[in-house]
Amino acid sequence: MRLRQPSVWAPIALVVVLAMFPAAFPDELNYLGLGFLTFIFVTLAVAWNMVGGYAGQVSFGYAAFFGTAAYVTAILWSRYEWEPVLTLPLAGLAAVAVSLIVGLPCFRLLGPYFSIATIGVGEAARVLALNLDQLTGGASGLNLPLSVPSKPWFYWSGLALAVVAVSVSAWMRASRVGLGLFALRMDQDAAESVGVNSTVYKNIAHSSSAFLVGIAAGLYVVYFSYGHPNQVFGFDLSIGMVLMGVIGGVGTLWGPVLGAAIYYPIRQLLLSQSNLVAFNLLVYGGLLIAIILFEPGGLLGLIRRVARR
Amino acid sequence: MTSPLLRIDRVTRRFGGLVAVHEVSLDVSPGEIVGLVGPNGAGKTTLFRCVVGALRPTAGAVIFDGRRIDGRSQHALVRLGVCHTHQIPAPFADLSVRDNVRVGASFGRMASTARATVSSVLAQTGLDQLAETPARNLSIGSLKLLEVGRALATGPRLLCLDEVGGGLTPVELERMLTLVREIRDAGVTVLYIEHNMRAIRAICDRVVVLDFGEKIAEGTPDEVANDQRVIEAYLGEPAAR
Amino acid sequence: MYEPSAIAGLVVTAVLTAGLYALMSYGLALVYGVMKIINLAHAGTMMLSAFVVLTLNRAFHLDPVPGAVVSAAVFFVLGMALYRLAVRRVIDAPPIASLLLLFGVWLCAQNAAYLIWGSEDQSIVTPYTFSTVDIGDIKIAVSRLIPFGVSLVALGTLTWFLRATDLGKAIRAVSQNALSARLVGVRSERVATIAFGLGSALSAFAGGLLTLLFSFNPDFGGTFQLKSFAIIVLGGLESLPGVALGALVLAVVESFSILIPGWRGSLINLLAFSILVAALVLLPGGIASLLDRRGKTE
Repeated sequence: MRLRQPSVWAPIALVVVLAMFPAAFPDELNYLGLGFLTFIFVTLAVAWNMVGGYAGQVSFGYAAFFGTAAYVTAILWSRYEWEPVLTLPLAGLAAVAVSLIVGLPCFRLLGPYFSIATIGVGEAARVLALNLDQLTGGASGLNLPLSVPSKPWFYWSGLALAVVAVSVSAWMRASRVGLGLFALRMDQDAAESVGVNSTVYKNIAHSSSAFLVGIAAGLYVVYFSYGHPNQVFGFDLSIGMVLMGVIGGVGTLWGPVLGAAIYYPIRQLLLSQSNLVAFNLLVYGGLLIAIILFEPGGLLGLIRRVARR
Repeated sequence: MTSPLLRIDRVTRRFGGLVAVHEVSLDVSPGEIVGLVGPNGAGKTTLFRCVVGALRPTAGAVIFDGRRIDGRSQHALVRLGVCHTHQIPAPFADLSVRDNVRVGASFGRMASTARATVSSVLAQTGLDQLAETPARNLSIGSLKLLEVGRALATGPRLLCLDEVGGGLTPVELERMLTLVREIRDAGVTVLYIEHNMRAIRAICDRVVVLDFGEKIAEGTPDEVANDQRVIEAYLGEPAAR
Repeated sequence: MYEPSAIAGLVVTAVLTAGLYALMSYGLALVYGVMKIINLAHAGTMMLSAFVVLTLNRAFHLDPVPGAVVSAAVFFVLGMALYRLAVRRVIDAPPIASLLLLFGVWLCAQNAAYLIWGSEDQSIVTPYTFSTVDIGDIKIAVSRLIPFGVSLVALGTLTWFLRATDLGKAIRAVSQNALSARLVGVRSERVATIAFGLGSALSAFAGGLLTLLFSFNPDFGGTFQLKSFAIIVLGGLESLPGVALGALVLAVVESFSILIPGWRGSLINLLAFSILVAALVLLPGGIASLLDRRGKTE
């Protein structure tokens, strides 16, 4: 790692600055919460991008991983009185398990067919969760213990997780795994013909990203002390992950980070104003259409284009 | 008598009612360049694909270095040392020439020395000048060289070439043939589908001729060129004496 | 519960529903065949069409069947417009582009429906909603018989159109080999525009007919799109018999699902998805046309 390069010290500096925030402003609980959730969304976007961007398989079903992990944490915490932090690795592994189960049939499909199959995955998980009410509390959700770590704790955990996610993503890009993923994204048959076992590599990407999503989900549910299938298995969560990648620039390292930084505030704005909530799908749909038609490279693509002038 | 590196043993491939390849047997010894020719529709590509893992034979076996490989996946075969090029070049369009070769080097049999392999392949194919060019910007001649280079980077023992001479200018063809000779001289066995008879005569030790899915002749390029059945197959009627 | 007449009733229901399912899936199959695009706006079209039919029913007391015809005409035009304005520009891009584009259109359609009609379930009641026809011991709901009959007529007309008319043949030609079609003078842009419009019209027509059988809200398109996809995966994209077969299988499974002990109605949509997954895992050869668009002759 060449520390003098701006692409290396700038992010590190940013992380340091962000990390100092709770120490400097310990009473700004709203901002700490906002920061935490933004970091969670950054993690989700970066994780999703490993499969959607690097491998080129756009999944609309990541809520299945998020929800499963959320419930693993919720159930272990509320019913078996585990320490919430200790549930996180298990939540991550549960998400990995689901990703392998999903990957088995779905990775046989290429391109748009994979995407459509994944729409069903998320929804199937949601319906299952709603119906397995013995386990999940069904339609009334699960109420969780109220004693949770402090806001600064969440802020730093979220930041740490986001840093890990970006680091994993950066490593993947530079490694043989990333090379294989890019190759199979561009031409799977050609990649296979020079030795890339596309099934293995897709599953590596899928599992890694599911693990990160799982941990994020665990933190999320502990933060809110509440879990409901429509929330943690919600289609809007899956759509959001796709959008963050597309907005920022699918397949790049920082695109998803930018995308999350933009998407999350928009989402919060839409949700908070009652007269705007009704337009949220229109906004998301409109954004997707506009980006696809005018700047498929997302924000990063736009920046690069402008920078070249 | 060295045992063959590749043995194709009565391979048959059917597509529904159509028999594309019928009980073709053929041996390739280490270090040979064997040409596979025949009129259009003769079954060359189908047979080729059965060898390289893109198709599973309906019957028969493909044995490489004593091991059956028919039905195994393409990527597994690369590990064993069988690699092929595509008739219509299939580069990784958004990757540079260097990165294209790097894929082959990183996922082939010499993954631990990938960087060195990339440099040597680029030099050998003459693509080092174009190393940083995105593959989508290459001419057909360079694309064909890239196909060979990328496959070569996997460190194959058997390299299967599919019409690498097609669409090349005479100068480019000459350069390609020199490259193939060099590859063989370095110890790689070559199986080569080609339409361009000049190319076949120039570098093949032996030629196998298919017609309607069957092997109709086998021998040196000269022997095959004078074989009555081969002439008929290409001309479609008994040749005038 | 397991008496022959009850079983027969389930079979009849399945067959009748299958007709409509086949119609619904064919719109998707047609667009894919011609331009190799999965039309995710299919869900939005079916849903909006249902609401259009609802509005026509409320405002003019128009029966859903002619209502569906009107809606189909409207969406034929809208489909062509969507193609010319947006879809055409991403035809040559990686397939994910058109997927995301049409997905965005679907999201907008959903939101539009929420804004105009609200999120509650709606249903259309016709004079024959509760009527049945008796054949032996089996009671057949008229509201199932009608969409089945209409679907058969529609599919028959479509088949005739594709076989007998020049435009239909052009569409088939482009589906089979776009380049060759162009070489022989087929104006593929025009064919694509019309095919997209036609596919949208079929989706709209099916969506309108679906109101006879189901209640609906802005979310309901997704479920039927998933079913369409399951049907296509099962039966294959190229042939009408294939789509019909897939439709029949799904309809039968759905119909007989009530016999499963402990079954809940809300799980019915999981069936389509499970069939999809099962088909993918168990029949990879049967859906080779989906798996490899490079036309690998496997």
